[in-house]
Amino acid sequence: MTRLPLLAALLFLATFVLLPLGGLVVATVRGPDGWTLAAWAALADDRNALVQLAASLQLGLAATTVSLLLGGLHAWVTVGRDLPGGGWLGPLGVAPLVVPPIFVAMGFADIAPAAGFWPCALLLGVAHAPFVAVLAARGLRGVDGRAYEAAWLLRGGRRAELWLLRAIAPELLAGCLLAFLFTLADHGVPEFLTVKGKTWHTYAEGLFARWNRRAVGTTFAELQSPIVAALPFVAGLGVLLWAALRLRAQGPDRGVVQPLPRRPLGRWRWPALLAPTTYLAAGIALPVVVLARWALGSAQRLEPMSLSFARQSFHKAIDQGLPDLLHSLWLALGTALLVVLLALPLARAAARRQPLLDLLCALPAALPAILLGIALVRAFHDSPLLRSFGGDFYAGWGFAVCGYAARFLPFAALTLSAQVRRQPVAAEEAGLLVARPPWARAVRLHLPPLLPAAWTAAVVVFVLALRELDLAVVLPAANATAVRRLANAVHFQHEDWSGVIALLLLAIAVLVPLLPSLLAGRRLRSLS
Amino acid sequence: MTTSVAVVDLCVHRGSFQLGPLTFAVPSGGRLAVVGPSGSGKTTLLRCLAGFEPAASGTIRLGDAIADDGRRRLPPDRRGLGLVFQDGALWPQMTALQHLQFAAPGLAADDALALLRRAGLEARANDRPGTMSGGEAQRLGLCRALAPGPGLLLLDEPLRSVDVHQRDGLVLLLRTLADERRLTTILVTHDRDEALALATDLVVLREGRMVESGPAQDLLQRPATAFTAAFLLGAACLPVSATDGDRLSTPFGTFARPPGAPGDLRLVLLPGDVDLAPPGSGPAGRILCALPGEDPVRLRVALADQIVEAHARAAPPAGAEVTLALRAAPRFLPWHEPTRP
Repeated sequence: MTRLPLLAALLFLATFVLLPLGGLVVATVRGPDGWTLAAWAALADDRNALVQLAASLQLGLAATTVSLLLGGLHAWVTVGRDLPGGGWLGPLGVAPLVVPPIFVAMGFADIAPAAGFWPCALLLGVAHAPFVAVLAARGLRGVDGRAYEAAWLLRGGRRAELWLLRAIAPELLAGCLLAFLFTLADHGVPEFLTVKGKTWHTYAEGLFARWNRRAVGTTFAELQSPIVAALPFVAGLGVLLWAALRLRAQGPDRGVVQPLPRRPLGRWRWPALLAPTTYLAAGIALPVVVLARWALGSAQRLEPMSLSFARQSFHKAIDQGLPDLLHSLWLALGTALLVVLLALPLARAAARRQPLLDLLCALPAALPAILLGIALVRAFHDSPLLRSFGGDFYAGWGFAVCGYAARFLPFAALTLSAQVRRQPVAAEEAGLLVARPPWARAVRLHLPPLLPAAWTAAVVVFVLALRELDLAVVLPAANATAVRRLANAVHFQHEDWSGVIALLLLAIAVLVPLLPSLLAGRRLRSLS
Repeated sequence: MTTSVAVVDLCVHRGSFQLGPLTFAVPSGGRLAVVGPSGSGKTTLLRCLAGFEPAASGTIRLGDAIADDGRRRLPPDRRGLGLVFQDGALWPQMTALQHLQFAAPGLAADDALALLRRAGLEARANDRPGTMSGGEAQRLGLCRALAPGPGLLLLDEPLRSVDVHQRDGLVLLLRTLADERRLTTILVTHDRDEALALATDLVVLREGRMVESGPAQDLLQRPATAFTAAFLLGAACLPVSATDGDRLSTPFGTFARPPGAPGDLRLVLLPGDVDLAPPGSGPAGRILCALPGEDPVRLRVALADQIVEAHARAAPPAGAEVTLALRAAPRFLPWHEPTRP
């Protein structure tokens, strides 16, 4: 009985991750005339693919450096410091996660020329800095204050700070690796900047471009080349992800510790405010201000900004974008619910019996969403299995939810498995002595301690699903989301009502997770 | 209904650690303590009895039922036993009353409250473990273990997380409730006083092997090994070396080897076996401190790498160098293998 949820989750993983990926791999070696390595052999000659891979790597490194500077500094000066306002600036570190990278790009592109490599690296660095900020803060909160004080006593303040940096290095590196992975996988922002005059391309862009024009290829090798080029890279990303997971597992969060002592910033106390304000201004304030200005009519050259124009924008937005907004909302809610239901049994099994399940669950995070989308389309666009569900399941909400759930399962599964590992095994063993059916133990003993982490995971997945652009571009069932509509609308000079839709999307991303807390009247805890 | 326990040639493998073979029995209503230092396998034995660890070989019989014979294993919830965990292992989301009601399906609220009242927790019935002291949490752990009416009670170092002031109360509660129900009790601990307060029979473990077993009073009066004397009686065990023939060399001089004694012998010095003596008449030691009490004054003295308890009429200052002498004939015991007849 209690194995049923685990079996269902494993079946889901097999169906929506392993099967599509396996199909992609097989397709690269299975030509019209049988098995062949022609597509792989052609990889070395595909100079375009190699150049794009190199561009992606450079972009990843540059953007990760920006993420480290912004997110790392934010955590460093707000956790355990006497920074003015640090108490509320610290928890805000997770807030920029709500803003889709494409909105950050829109915001920056509105105020300055955003063409070229460095602006793109800056945009993606800003957009993915929350990963570093959240994990670095988690690392700092997990350090035992007594150990820090011992280092301080023995080696002095400056050496103690270096010791602290080493202590949180695993978390910091894990955050950087996640930022790196997300930057490499991002297709939407580099593609958005293309219209602003960008002259170089990443491999995720190349992947999608050639997938879009797949009918143009003449030979089997040409048709397969983007996927062939992507697969070794995905394997590399998988190794990086594995390293990130191992590093996080070595993090200092080992139960109750004494928090770090409040460390004085001295004469840097006020100047240090620059770090969190820059981080939050770039990650939230700038995009929100630009979107608000669009709604007020800033993009209209003939008339000044006004509230009456904003009212018109709002009406247009409701008229043009409400169905997309609602589609996004239901899609994100469905994804969050499904992901948590799948992640609970997977996380328990990974934490208690099969640690390798962690890696399996994390696999979709190593894939560019574009590639996962292509894999899903190839596997299911004409699937008799999906047809057996009745109706057009492939083009409907259900398939989009499954695709999104496959993409975001790692976040929930890893969050929950970490939480299961923190639960004392002895308390579960005490439950084994009780003559109750397994489901009663699961519901009464195992589930309640996981509920806070499950809620956190649901919120993270909800927000990520709301802001997802890449998968929405590929999956027909997800084409009608608000983010997809926005990315298109801006190309066609519809900034006015696009700004309103974007602000409404941000409001949903903030308010829906807050709603239960507001209704229950409980103080919010940081998502980290 | 109480349950007897019979363990025969039990072996448990846990990574590179091997426990056993162990053989012992506890009659229905008996009270056994398994003692030994950290890493000796006490908790592994208890977990195997509870059904959390499989036996590699051997048999565990609980009453008439075979709980584990290396092939078939009775699940923990069908062994009819209660377990009090080291640190409570309580369920943080449940109140005290809910703990008991979940542990014993069908237990009436009045009966659960009565049990909590016996443990002095009636006022905490609707509180969660997070708000309880270590002593209260262990009392709740005991109530949870007793609620279904087990025939066997396993105790895994139940006093470890309880502060000194609450220990006596918990010991009395454990004894009273176990006696009332005539429960068979198996306790594992590394604390001699805890073992003697809660058990009548002892099994001494060291590195997964049984050193000796028997009634507690026998082991206290006539330990068969230096290890048991050191662990249960706080004896200092000085290494000895064999000289020519059957003589044993010790810091106190050379002595004849006891007939039939094995090779690895120790000179066992129980508290009070040593007196202060005139300078030059014996080995030199350094005073560490004087223990409370006046006649005789009990002194802790460093001798080689051991600490012995010597008696004297007056207490020299701490740090003073003193000479020690044996008060009676030396006692030589094998280190951890009892002498075989």
